[in-house]
Amino acid sequence: MTVATTWKQKLTGQLREDWAREIDIFETQIELRKKGKVEEKLFAETRLRRGTYGQRYDNGQRHDGEKTQTLPYPSGELTKGPVTMWDAPGMQRIKIPYGKLTADQLDTLSELAEEYSDQILHITTRQDIQLHFIHIEDTPDIMRRLAAAGITTREACGNTVRNVTACPYAGVCNTESFDVIPYANALAFFLLGHPDTQDFGRKFKVAFSGCKDEPCGLTNFHDAGAIAKTRVVNGELKRGFEYYVGGGLGAVPYPAVLFDEFLPEEELFPITQAVCRVFARLGERENRARARLKFVVKKLGIEEFKRLVLEERAKLRPDERWTAFLKDLHVTDEKPLKPASELAPASFPAGFDAWRKTNVQAQSQKGYSTAKVTLPLGDFTPAQGRLMAELARRYTGDSMRLTVEQNMLYRWVSNADLPAFYQELAKVGLAEAGADHITDVTSCPGTDTCKLGISSSRGLATELHKRLSVISDQLDPAAQGLHIKCSGCSNSCGQHHVADMGFLGVSRNVNGRRVPHFQLVIGGQYRNNAGSYGLAIGAIPSKRVPEAVKTLTDRFVAEKQEGETFQAFVGRIGKKEIRKLVDQLSVIPSYEQDPSFYSDWGDPREYTIGDLGVGECAGEVVPLVQVGLADSERELFEAQLLLDEGSSDRAAARAFSAMVLAAQALTREKNSFLGEGVDEIVNEFRTHYYDTKLFFDPFSGGKFAHYFFRAYEHRAEAASKDSAHQLIEEAQLFVEAAHQCYTRIAGALP
Amino acid sequence: MLSERLQLKLYLEPSEHFEPEALIPVFHRFIRDQVIKDLLIDVVDYSHVPDGPGIVLIGHAADYYVGALDGAYGLVYSRKRSGPGPEQRLEDALRRLVNAARLLEQENGLKLRFKSNELSLRLTDRLRAPNDDATFAETQAEVEALFGRVYGGVAIERLAGSKEPLGLRIHATSAPSLEALLEKLGGPPETAS
Repeated sequence: MTVATTWKQKLTGQLREDWAREIDIFETQIELRKKGKVEEKLFAETRLRRGTYGQRYDNGQRHDGEKTQTLPYPSGELTKGPVTMWDAPGMQRIKIPYGKLTADQLDTLSELAEEYSDQILHITTRQDIQLHFIHIEDTPDIMRRLAAAGITTREACGNTVRNVTACPYAGVCNTESFDVIPYANALAFFLLGHPDTQDFGRKFKVAFSGCKDEPCGLTNFHDAGAIAKTRVVNGELKRGFEYYVGGGLGAVPYPAVLFDEFLPEEELFPITQAVCRVFARLGERENRARARLKFVVKKLGIEEFKRLVLEERAKLRPDERWTAFLKDLHVTDEKPLKPASELAPASFPAGFDAWRKTNVQAQSQKGYSTAKVTLPLGDFTPAQGRLMAELARRYTGDSMRLTVEQNMLYRWVSNADLPAFYQELAKVGLAEAGADHITDVTSCPGTDTCKLGISSSRGLATELHKRLSVISDQLDPAAQGLHIKCSGCSNSCGQHHVADMGFLGVSRNVNGRRVPHFQLVIGGQYRNNAGSYGLAIGAIPSKRVPEAVKTLTDRFVAEKQEGETFQAFVGRIGKKEIRKLVDQLSVIPSYEQDPSFYSDWGDPREYTIGDLGVGECAGEVVPLVQVGLADSERELFEAQLLLDEGSSDRAAARAFSAMVLAAQALTREKNSFLGEGVDEIVNEFRTHYYDTKLFFDPFSGGKFAHYFFRAYEHRAEAASKDSAHQLIEEAQLFVEAAHQCYTRIAGALP
Repeated sequence: MLSERLQLKLYLEPSEHFEPEALIPVFHRFIRDQVIKDLLIDVVDYSHVPDGPGIVLIGHAADYYVGALDGAYGLVYSRKRSGPGPEQRLEDALRRLVNAARLLEQENGLKLRFKSNELSLRLTDRLRAPNDDATFAETQAEVEALFGRVYGGVAIERLAGSKEPLGLRIHATSAPSLEALLEKLGGPPETAS
């Protein structure tokens, strides 16, 4: 017998042929890139389409708290993309359609984390798994082993259709119209590698929900969102979807727009295909910041967009896959392992009642429950992965779901088994209560591993989890149900816009030093599929965020009215009140008094990107800039209040004014004679900061300046509530960029 | 040893003073001052994960964890990319592990003490080192030879679990100081692996 010396040999015949071929091609591309025969940008897009991302420090530079050091990777100057060193560890994203995992798949994932990663599997906010600190040359074997388990990483990143997500309760939910999983499953594989999804200017995300009111599907911030709906037509109950397009979070969140209030099930695929074709044709290519579908829908208006989609739909060549799956909608049904049963009154294990209260829900099928495993920050070890797989085999069958709250959900737990199931989890420390409650803080990777992270969202989430866990038992039930979500930057991977309290990482220059902060985002709605987005109230120093959470929570508990949600509470007391809190917390001690404020959570390195000068020039000029930027933030806050009052036009005008003030503050640095006229400020800003690229963000280029110029061009136009909201978001980003620009300038001062 | 990936662990003496988070600044300093002659990249805090890797010092060829992946606290040297040839792999790992443990013991603020005679080895390379009797026999022989030379004698126990990578618990018959062990292994590594 020949002993296999490679995974390719060992797994021969165990992979789908097309998947095996794709991975072989990718491996060849890796070899070609090593020989310099594939251009680095092309290789970057190629690996991204296979889910292979870069990570922080992959430019070969790392600031150690005192100075930037070069990481001397053995492959020298070889890159795997622009400014991305070959040997730098990267992240492998693994698409798990609608989060469904079998026990065998979880075993495989655990093996991969054990052999190639840092012993951690991470659940993302879109039902994916991510492995971090992976070497590019290990990725073909990782992909082969996944493919042998029925998982592909194809199109997990890049300008493609990303993981198709769905409510993890679909099929067992008490409020759904019908089970969306057969639709989500078929659509995920219909769109995977489809010729009409290969030429986008940006990514495209799809989500399914079984009902409208619950948050589980979060369809409101997806490019295409389908909510199950039934309708009686000619006396017959028909299935269809309330179909939305053009939603998205990112730096500027857009709510999805209703495309069709009842899209018949047989039209779901062709219409989605047509949407993809219109997106591929009309989506922005040059400016990535405006390349998502939401901008196409916004620019055209939903009526024109719909007309174009229907026109495209009419031209499509019929495809039997559009409806073939409808012939057997039970193909994705799960068969429970155990018969239904009831939980007999008994003396339960310690902690069981609290766990059951927050982590267990009755299914629509009598005698069964879902049980959630709380996984702080979505992390678990290979050993825990194997144990969770084993629990599935023993209690439920293959019915696990990864959730967007970064937990693991089991379905079909026979009720009488719940105490034993709990005890099994407790043995390995996985029986924490509080899933999807205040202690279960969601976070993106932030500065831990993400190149774009500004502040440590995971560090903050860990700290909040630690502190809130201590007091959660004593918290009022209304407070226990609050959601906290953290993002390390404005790109919203932590979904901070739809939390009761959201935090997004920013930095501020205080006394000549960079200080990690988080913007407090209030007013988001998680229910109703992420029904509305919150707005930033103001920046709080990172180390003061736990105080802010405690103060807000205490006040909510003390002052809330009967049945009042946090969102309604904030609306009633007004953002001015919340702003007072932010202002109180924004003052920090000097570095000499307490240097801990000048480093981030979980990272003792001083939070700077270089030694900032505090010379005389900075001492005179810099504070003036700061005053101007503070004015712009105040103006921005006023804009929010006006928007809350329903004065959209005034809110938009105020948001634009905030941008002007920020631009003026910066531009006076270059032109001390700058006046108050808007035209002059815009022109001078363009000359000194845009044309010189001084304002450009290292990752986003000039996109924040474009927000300002566009607001200037359209300043005379009437504003709707949505457009004013968006302008406020853009103004927020522009002001934020002004802060960063100022920090760079200050650093360059003698 | 054919396995290109392996994890060698030295266990910690139980201590009520041990705070895993205290390792974070130490590991950052290890990177900054290149205290360990490996290409070190970053520090990750997984202390929120029960029985997890704990505080991880990420490197290019190998990582160091101070955590409780198998339920007991210790320092793991985890080689993840091929380095020395098959003949030297285990000894190189032991040398780097002992060196790192010695450095951590020298950090007074950490108050760490390792049990120099309690180790475990996991071969995290299912292709080249499947968890079967043949691999165990080969590995056992190699461990006995190396640890016999360094410690004078050793008792080996195969860890259970067919889905886990092949694992061995190693009880050395003597408990020399880490300094003495390192000296026997040739002193601190001078180059990156």
